[in-house]
Amino acid sequence: MNIYAYIVRRLLYVIPILLGVCAIIFILFNVVSPDPTLIMLGKHASVEQMESLRRELGLDRPYYVQYLDIVKSAFTFDFGRSWSTKQEISSMIANGAVPSLTLTLPAFFLATLVSISISLLVAFFRGKFFDKFIVFVCVAFMSISSLAYIIFGQWFFAYKLGWFEISGYEHGFPYFIPYVILPIIIWIILSVGPDVRFYRTVMLDEVYQDYVRTAKSKGLSDKIILFKHVLKNAMIPIITYVVIQIPFLILGTLLLESFFSIPGLGSMTLNAVNSLDFPVIKAVTVLSAVAYIIFSVITDVLYTIVDPRVRLN
Amino acid sequence: MKTIYLVLLSTLLFSCTKKKDINSKILNLAVTAEIKGMDPIYASDVYSGNEIARVYEGLYEYHYLKRPYTLVPNLAESQPEVSQDGLTYKIKIKKGVMFHDDAAFPNGKGRELVASDFVYSIMRLADPKLQGLGWWVLQGKVEGLDDWREKYSKTDKVDYNDKIEGLQALDKYTIQFKLVKPFPQFLYSLAMPFTYVVAREVVEKYGKEFINHPVGTGPFILPEFKQSNKIVYKKNPNYRKVFFPKEASEEFENYLVDAGKQLPLVDEIIVNIMKEEQPRWLSFSKGKLDYISIPKDNFESVITPDKGLVDDFQKKGVSLIRSTGLDLAYIAFNHDLDLFKNVKLRRALSLAYNPQASNKLFYNDTATPAQSIVPPGIAGHIPGLMNPYMGQNIEKAKELLSEAGYPNGKGLPEITYDCPANTTSRQMGEFFKKQMALIGVNVKVVTNPWPQLQAKINNRQVMLFGIGWGADYPDAENFLQLLYGPNKSPGANGSGYDNPIFNRLYKSASTLQDSPERTALYEKMNRMAMEEVPVIFGMHRQNFILHNGWLKNYIASDFDWGHAKYLNVDINKKKELLKKL
Repeated sequence: MNIYAYIVRRLLYVIPILLGVCAIIFILFNVVSPDPTLIMLGKHASVEQMESLRRELGLDRPYYVQYLDIVKSAFTFDFGRSWSTKQEISSMIANGAVPSLTLTLPAFFLATLVSISISLLVAFFRGKFFDKFIVFVCVAFMSISSLAYIIFGQWFFAYKLGWFEISGYEHGFPYFIPYVILPIIIWIILSVGPDVRFYRTVMLDEVYQDYVRTAKSKGLSDKIILFKHVLKNAMIPIITYVVIQIPFLILGTLLLESFFSIPGLGSMTLNAVNSLDFPVIKAVTVLSAVAYIIFSVITDVLYTIVDPRVRLN
Repeated sequence: MKTIYLVLLSTLLFSCTKKKDINSKILNLAVTAEIKGMDPIYASDVYSGNEIARVYEGLYEYHYLKRPYTLVPNLAESQPEVSQDGLTYKIKIKKGVMFHDDAAFPNGKGRELVASDFVYSIMRLADPKLQGLGWWVLQGKVEGLDDWREKYSKTDKVDYNDKIEGLQALDKYTIQFKLVKPFPQFLYSLAMPFTYVVAREVVEKYGKEFINHPVGTGPFILPEFKQSNKIVYKKNPNYRKVFFPKEASEEFENYLVDAGKQLPLVDEIIVNIMKEEQPRWLSFSKGKLDYISIPKDNFESVITPDKGLVDDFQKKGVSLIRSTGLDLAYIAFNHDLDLFKNVKLRRALSLAYNPQASNKLFYNDTATPAQSIVPPGIAGHIPGLMNPYMGQNIEKAKELLSEAGYPNGKGLPEITYDCPANTTSRQMGEFFKKQMALIGVNVKVVTNPWPQLQAKINNRQVMLFGIGWGADYPDAENFLQLLYGPNKSPGANGSGYDNPIFNRLYKSASTLQDSPERTALYEKMNRMAMEEVPVIFGMHRQNFILHNGWLKNYIASDFDWGHAKYLNVDINKKKELLKKL
């Protein structure tokens, strides 16, 4: 099948999926969630005010009209304004996505690079002391709560040693750099444990394959086997693991952003949930669903590039 | 080679860092939550209110250096002229007050403030299309305003040219309010950010984006608001002549160093949004913030057992400020349940609760256990009052429990205690459960996300719940209304306590101006609340605030609106003290 036809077909799946997502959002909001007007009006709410607010928000309209509203905004990407902050949601997302990405993109890229390199080394030394040591270190790193790294890192490296900014953010290149270095390092430390364990398993699966033995018996060096053959063959699970995480990088990272006062999207979603800010919740859910679909298509296409045996149909 | 790399790296980092100006007077503040926007009618949370009050102003404000809190004119020329029946308020406004420069005005130059600006601003608060969050302040109080709101509640557009009987500009500099019934707290509403004045042409120019274009008459200017990690305000160069007060209450007499100086005293304010305690604390300790409310976890490391400041901080020039907040933390009964109509049961539970232990555990032993509903510092509070049903007295609690018909808790259903889902609230719930177990009462702690808790209270699906109340204005009425029957949920009376005698007293006090007669009524209601135990009274919290030595004139207040203009920074002292940090 032609790759373009495949992409178009997969992207068309967006339509039924989005309709489903809208239905879920609608049901959760109307059936499970408490009345948002009560939260918005706060401690001095009155029945009349709640009714009046419901009318202004359009919550008194028939259910099907409200559902169609959600569908409309999901397909036009026009999510209107936040109920809580009255800000335009598209600009809230645009303003928050950049700081989030300045932290998560380099952090994710570096963490993946470091983890894959370590796991290649581990595959090379499999079963030896180095392998066991790395696995031990990974498990040890993973056993400590992420909050502990953040609190210690901020206190020791930023406050005690003064190497980094304690918290804050400046918009624009290169001013943001001093503020994101420490969170990036912490992110890498947090990700290396689980990532190395995953990549190690992937590499070891490959190392014991017949083609590795064949290559060895042909007299190829370990380096060539690892980089040219093992890494290439391990690419499919690696791509699946890596690409599918990318859309979520935009959503930022709640704890790091909150401790380092980085104005990203991490806390936007949490604030929206806490204040029942339905338009923002709707926007984040719809965008995540769309991004997930797009990136899963990218993953499929990448499969065909790294492994010509994969056929898209 | 390594050294070269290090040097290069540090040079790069240094060149990326924006230079900080140490020679201008800059306030560095921290707030702990997101600022939603800069429209006064949505200033329902204390954080947005404080930010709005740097740019916008209202008719009245609280005197910076006087306690008990006293209203003084801000944009008003003087105190209002109130008619004999207490229904008509005539207020003259200051002449020559200018709005900040903005493209919305001809030639971009701010125009003079006039009385009709107030009429417009208050109509905005009532506008049903805008759904201002401060409507409760004026709801049912100003003649014709509710009708105007109702008139447009089902139409698409609102006409601001309508004439409202109770809200009029008599001339360029005079506003007149006519109230439906006497409402002595009315003037407090005119000091709240909800009623701060905006200019119609600015609102109309920016439309929905008005929330990001604050243009007021205030001491500081913010050309554009962006939801981010910081907000930077500049001094308003055209600010009218406003001076630091020359009088102060006895406790603030040594705060008169800047008396008579023109305000504001600083050139710039940088407000950092810092949600977590650790970065706030570390930034303060490094001198990057001027003051901070001490985070719970750092309390013991800086405060001595006798509630003073440790030497180490004193040497760094840090000062400690303590102030009791106008607030109340309490555990409410759901009075819709027949179970809690039994006053002996309520008293028994109150006696089993140990406020002293709770104070030590959750408030670092700094709070004041509440004897009744009115906190210290306002008329209606009775100094020395001792609540006979305040715990912990297990024997008496058991006795009352038997008298209530539940000897050793027998026959009582499991009682649920609902609270927000954060750690401290849950711990408080567990602590309460442990204490009730001492008299045989079985409590189950249920944690809820905040929206769910509110909904459960509103739908009456709770038995007991832990909650708090902070004053909107310094009047006991604001606390007593928590027990006023008609204020039942979704109003502020979440417990649903509804006692005809209390309601009658409340109603008669509500129309009285501040007078010994009204104070007597407040005290009567306060005593009644103590006897009736409609809720288990918890604590009045105390704020412990630290400020660095270079910050001058800082005092703690329950109503911080507009206070930044009084603050000062001693640059030389800052340079000297920063070396010690």
